[in-house]
Amino acid sequence: MRRVLVALLLVAGCASPAWNDADYGKKAGATAEAAASSVALVRLAVESEAKLTRPYLQTLLTETATALDSVDSQFGAVQPPSRRAAEVRAEITELTSEAAEQVQVLLNEVRLREIRDPERAAADLGDLADRLRAFAEEHPS
Amino acid sequence: MTGRVLHAHLHLLDRQVVRADGRLLCKVDDLEIEPGEAPYVTAILAGPLALGPRVGGVVGRLMTGTTRLFRPEEDPAPRRVPMSLVSEIGSAVTVGGDVPEAALERWVRERLIDPLPGSGGADPGLGAPRPVRRAEVPDRDRLSSLVGRRVVDRDGAPVGQVADVQLTQDGPLLGESTQALRLSGLVVAPRHTGQLLGYERGPGGNSPALVRVVIRRLHRGSRFVSWEQIGDPGDPITLTEPRAALLPLTELFEPR
Amino acid sequence: MKRFFAVTLGILTAIGGFVDIGDLVANALVGSRFGMSLAWVVVVGVVGICLFAEMAGRVAAVSGRPVFDLVRERLGPRAGLLNLAASFGINLLTLAAEIGGAALALELATGIDYLLWVPAVGLVAWLVMWRVRFETMERVFGLAGLALVVFLVAFFALGPDYGELGHQLTHNPSDDGAATYWFYAVALLGAAMTPYEVFFFSSGGVEERWTRRDLGVMRANVFVGFPLGGLLSIAIAACAATVFLPRMIEVDTLGQMVLPAGLAFGQIGLALVVFGVFAATFGATLETALSSGYSISQYFGWQWGKYVRPREAARFHATLLVSTIVAVALILTTIDPIKVTEYSLVFSAAALPLTYLPVLMIANDPDYMGDRVNGRFSNTLGTAYMILLLVVAVAAVPLMLATKAGQ
Repeated sequence: MRRVLVALLLVAGCASPAWNDADYGKKAGATAEAAASSVALVRLAVESEAKLTRPYLQTLLTETATALDSVDSQFGAVQPPSRRAAEVRAEITELTSEAAEQVQVLLNEVRLREIRDPERAAADLGDLADRLRAFAEEHPS
Repeated sequence: MTGRVLHAHLHLLDRQVVRADGRLLCKVDDLEIEPGEAPYVTAILAGPLALGPRVGGVVGRLMTGTTRLFRPEEDPAPRRVPMSLVSEIGSAVTVGGDVPEAALERWVRERLIDPLPGSGGADPGLGAPRPVRRAEVPDRDRLSSLVGRRVVDRDGAPVGQVADVQLTQDGPLLGESTQALRLSGLVVAPRHTGQLLGYERGPGGNSPALVRVVIRRLHRGSRFVSWEQIGDPGDPITLTEPRAALLPLTELFEPR
Repeated sequence: MKRFFAVTLGILTAIGGFVDIGDLVANALVGSRFGMSLAWVVVVGVVGICLFAEMAGRVAAVSGRPVFDLVRERLGPRAGLLNLAASFGINLLTLAAEIGGAALALELATGIDYLLWVPAVGLVAWLVMWRVRFETMERVFGLAGLALVVFLVAFFALGPDYGELGHQLTHNPSDDGAATYWFYAVALLGAAMTPYEVFFFSSGGVEERWTRRDLGVMRANVFVGFPLGGLLSIAIAACAATVFLPRMIEVDTLGQMVLPAGLAFGQIGLALVVFGVFAATFGATLETALSSGYSISQYFGWQWGKYVRPREAARFHATLLVSTIVAVALILTTIDPIKVTEYSLVFSAAALPLTYLPVLMIANDPDYMGDRVNGRFSNTLGTAYMILLLVVAVAAVPLMLATKAGQ
């Protein structure tokens, strides 16, 4: 529940009603920034997964997964003001849902036993974080 | 012989009252005075019924109102601790003798704390008698009713309002050997500038320099009125002398 | 050894003030966003709290009067009640947050949702306040909180770029606006100088029955405890500036902020840091709960303290019990404990002058202090801090509104 609240607060800053294209772009940029930060953090944890305890990893991933999930669904619920904005939305929600999905997969692996291929997961997350950052740069907030 | 001089706000009101053995009893929420030619302090008043009127406003009325609601008496009065029991006035006010504890403390102990395991068990030594109260203390008998009252001089020109009350320990005997604190003067501030916070006094109330300057500046033009200069102690208080004849407060902190 | 134990009151007080749940996260957040560029605020805060805690401790030792007695006596019933309402409200919010924080630490250790731990933490905290002697309490939780020193060791083990961190001391690496920077400056100063620290410290001095002879012990408490607390909070920011800032990660949860210790020392580091976080937040739980009891009892003149049996301080213990229950209920509404402290920090910054002005005045009053009144040094510095606190009090709420609490 708490994580939902964290996420809501996170989203409250990014996804309150948007009126024009410029605002919409800014909000999209801020959302991407926040998601990139979460993804980079998960990557950092996954890289040194061997050093960390399982309850800790599980708590950390649950936190991030819930936050990303809510960012994703909340941003998707904001009506884009124009066709251009709709394209922006399609782009950003694709990125954030991919992030949410990756973290969820990792979380499931941790819950079952341990992360199967930490190196590949870290590389994927790094790639995703880069793409989110690139998006954030295109839409500066 | 002149007795010890105190200022009611500065030295007495709002101080902690402790028993001789160090246990805490209450605060000096107000003082009860015996009116007359030479009025003097007879008791410390404590509890919400004494504090409420001083806090004032909605909160103050709420405080007294709730207390009245839960008290069985027709005309509930604040707790009185007679001044004859006071053995020392310092950073706390020490009282001797057998002073009953507050009703709320008793109630909370009996209903909530004693039933909990490990509270220290029932102790017959503490089964003190219930507080003794007399009828309601009327407003005019409370020292706080003087504070904030308007003061006008012989010709009806305004002097200001009462900021503090000076007490001198040379009144009638209380108990066996304690002399009562007699009301001996008023500190009158030209407008509502709050308490003097001790910076009106002599060498003691001197630092830090910046605070002293600010507070004394807020109270510039304050006057000291001795009890003999008061004609009619009603509301407003009328003096027997013109404003110009009053001592400026600076006399108190910069004696010449 | 005895001398060492004598300073545990200062350590427990400082840990509750500098590295409680809100500060743990705020320090890490600041480190990850602003690098070391806000470290100076912690230094200013440490000097300020040392100054006023020393005055409050000296008044308590010489006259036996704790801080809220002074507040009521100098400010009078009306302004005193205003301060009581503000401090009590802040205390209760902070208490709720600390209980939540201790429960979060247990979640990090076990993986079991924190909400299930909340009632247990509340119950144990109450039992400690109900039964455990003050000295035992302060020793156990003060010393356990020292486990957070792992952040300091981790900082060196992480192989930081000292040149870069040194550069950040004077150059803000963030591209956020000045308002956000100053918002965090105010929040950190408010965190360092929270009023409940002096309530707890001076009341603790009375609980330990300090007298004039103990002024040396009191000073040792102040000058060991608070700088240590400040050092830990700088270490947390430095770890975050080393690990998170270069990777552009902004931390805002407890789980994230302990990661540097895990990266440096693996599972042992992680276990130590989670233990330290639990001890610090649990210690802060006791500190805030007791402070709420102290402040209300001292305003109304009730018997308070753990130096008498609970039944002799019935209203005080009733306050502790009710505050703990209310705080547990508050945190069970799933309100975010960290957000709660972030707001309460800003409000407490706004209430600071109301607490510190009476302390400064009474530390100068020969009626209370005899020949132990403030010297010129304390007064000059004290006046400078009063001006600073007034500025902070005025700026706190507008800054919070302008920056949407630092977003």
